[in-house]
Parts: sequence; C-alpha cells; structure tokens
Amino acid sequence: MAAAESSPLTTHVLNTGDGIPGAKMALSLHRLDSQLMIWTMLNVGTTNEDGRCSVLISREAFTPGMYKLRFETGAYWESLDQTCFYPYVEVVFTISDPDQRFHLPLLMSRFSYSTYRGS
Amino acid sequence: MSAFRLQQLKGHILPENKITTMAGSPSPLTTHVLNTAMGVPGSNMSLSLHRQDPLTKAWNLITTGITNDDGRCPGLITTQLFTSGVYKLHFETAQYWASRGEASFYPYVEIVFTINEPGQKYHIPLLLSRFSYSTYRGS
Repeated sequence: MAAAESSPLTTHVLNTGDGIPGAKMALSLHRLDSQLMIWTMLNVGTTNEDGRCSVLISREAFTPGMYKLRFETGAYWESLDQTCFYPYVEVVFTISDPDQRFHLPLLMSRFSYSTYRGS
Repeated sequence: MSAFRLQQLKGHILPENKITTMAGSPSPLTTHVLNTAMGVPGSNMSLSLHRQDPLTKAWNLITTGITNDDGRCPGLITTQLFTSGVYKLHFETAQYWASRGEASFYPYVEIVFTINEPGQKYHIPLLLSRFSYSTYRGS
C-alpha cells in the first residue's frame, strides 16, 4: 500500500459555506481510455474528517493521460439536509508529467465552487 | 409585468445599443467567461449547453456558441425551452488556451447544475486561469 506522503494525487474538500472540512464526501477517480474514448473508474473513496482523501492512486498506476475527479456534492449537502445547485462536480485534468505531485482541492458551497492545481 | 406593458415602458426610455424585442427576450440562463490570469474577458471560447434526459440520463445538446469579445454568450436558451431539470455548460478551455499558445491543466470544464425554478434568472460565470477555475450561481 502506498504511503500517503508518496501519493502523486491528493485532494481536499472544503465546505466554504460553513467554514469546515467537507468530510464524508464520496468521490471517485477515473482515467480516460484514449483508444475507446470511455472513462474507466480507478478508485472510489470518501473524504475523512479533515476533508481529505490522500491515497487515490499509486505512483505506478499514475500514467500520463486525462483524468477526472468526481465529487458527489449533491449527496453531501443532502446528508446535511440542504440542497445544492450542483448535483456533482467533475474536475477533468491532463497529466503530462506524472512524476510531479498534484493536489486538487475543491472549495465549495451550495452555490459555488473552485478548484486549482496545487502540489 | 406583461410583455406589452414592458414594451410600453421601453418606448419611454432612451434607446440603448441592445433593445430586446418581444420575440427576442433575453435568455434566462447566461454565462460569462473571465480570464483571471490575464485580467481580460475570456473571448472566443467555444461552449455548449446540454440538458439531461431524466429517464435515460443521456445528455441532449441544446445550444453551441462562442463567447464574444466581452466573454459572454447571449441567447443560450429561450424561456420556453428552459424547463426544470439538470443542465450542463461545457467550456472548451484547452482549445481557448491553445489559441493563445499555452497549455492548460483542464482540457475542458463542465459545470453541471440543477434548475428547480426556471422562472428565475441564472448567471453562471466561469473564472478561469490555466491552473484554476471557479464558478458560482448568480442572477
């Protein structure tokens, strides 16, 4: 099992509406099969109490290509008895240099979200 | 306010550049792309609007467009077509950055949102750099 420190791809969900980590949010990682042009699910997970999901993929599996992180935002806000404008959020990104570290946070409220490439 | 009454009021106001006629009501759904890295509108970006079929979950294309010099794309949808449902706005971000000779971390951006009250106005901007983006529900 890869240690969290060496995981090449990490995420962090922040509930900016309430100023707390986005804990217990379901998410999944997918890679695009460029031959068949279909998405393959690589991993599913749930953010921890700190809103993090540290081990999404091993360095060996992290090859160049197009990936997407899908966050189940609708289900998250529903578990808090609230509605959300976004039933889910998918962040699609291109990995050219998989030797780097990629930190893709999701800062979100019920009516807004942002993301960026960190490390 | 009835459309007729609105038209009467508009007749009292000095004409502006863009007067909407009764046949061409402004779209209830608007977007605005901003290139936050350069502090300019995101102009000439291709985008498309889709609605999800509630039964099959397939996406149906409603409109394609290109943002104007101000980063906007008027006429996305008519009030008649704007029914409750799940929609997505698809922005060709990598194509946009490539036209400027730069790479982008995001090949495209899709914003999926739920419309429960189609009588409201929805403004869904995209604030974008090569390595980040944000969006919000405005009006």
